[in-house]
Amino acid sequence: MINCRDCARALNPFIDRELSDDDVVQVRGHLEACGGCLHLYQFEESLRRLVRVRCQEQGAPASLRERISVSLAMERVRLEGRGRAAGMQRDQLST
Amino acid sequence: MVRLKAVNADAAARPERSADKEAAANRARFEDEALKHLDALYRTALRMTRNPSDAEDLVQDALVRAYRFYDRFEPGTNFRAWLFKILTNTYINSYRRKQGRPQESSLEDTEEFFLYNQLSGDGGERVTDVEGTVLDNLGADAIQRAIDQLPPQFRTTVQLSDVEGLSYAEIAEATGVAKGTVMSRLFRGRRLLQRALWDQARAAGFTSGSKVHQDSDAGQASVSNGAVARARGTAR
Repeated sequence: MINCRDCARALNPFIDRELSDDDVVQVRGHLEACGGCLHLYQFEESLRRLVRVRCQEQGAPASLRERISVSLAMERVRLEGRGRAAGMQRDQLST
Repeated sequence: MVRLKAVNADAAARPERSADKEAAANRARFEDEALKHLDALYRTALRMTRNPSDAEDLVQDALVRAYRFYDRFEPGTNFRAWLFKILTNTYINSYRRKQGRPQESSLEDTEEFFLYNQLSGDGGERVTDVEGTVLDNLGADAIQRAIDQLPPQFRTTVQLSDVEGLSYAEIAEATGVAKGTVMSRLFRGRRLLQRALWDQARAAGFTSGSKVHQDSDAGQASVSNGAVARARGTAR
């Protein structure tokens, strides 16, 4: 069984779901047995959720989406033009 | 002899041309796939540049580059991490220089779990949720201001992890560092973020609060705990 210090050290990777299955079992076991660490875990997780949910309220402006569609279309024309030119060059080389 | 050469040249050219066609078909899919990540890319660009107009230009430049090099993307690997990698590289190559030297952060480093320790009372009562604490009053703007105060390498890593939900491996790919570096940046970055969030909560909460003591750290701490207790009291 891990102690409080090991649990605190593993807490963020645990919340991030980056621990191995064995380590997850260890941390869960400790959290079930230790109220202090459980409270800390619950608090840290709620803080993470607060940051994520509030910040995700913001998205890209609609005008940016349109701007990008236009510039991708222009880039496609440019790339296809270049592709055709390269194809013509190859055709000339092969005759 | 000449004829033979022509046949060889044609045979050599043909797979390239079908590759061109395949690339064109792939590019048609690119826009749909990439625009799914537009909000995340924009939010991250905004944290990098800290300026909406630069952030828009950065995302646009990065997506045009990604589109141009889409045939180099290996199918089956992580598309989202690849897009963020191009965003990071575009920022480093074109925007960071423009912005000059990054401002030194004035954030104080703190112990780990700083907020939990601040918000838990001296009497041993433990806070288990940000709901009902002063932190709950922090809106998106205040939280983003807090993230913006982190030094750049910590800021992007924290943003990609804590807001966008990328894994350590994805962040390593996106920022071009080893996974161990991602972990140490997150460790330090989150500590700094807790301090910055506390500063934001204090700035917001205590201007509307009844009384502000600014004479000493100890004074601030006792006021903070009092305010937290009040905030919790009203919420429950």
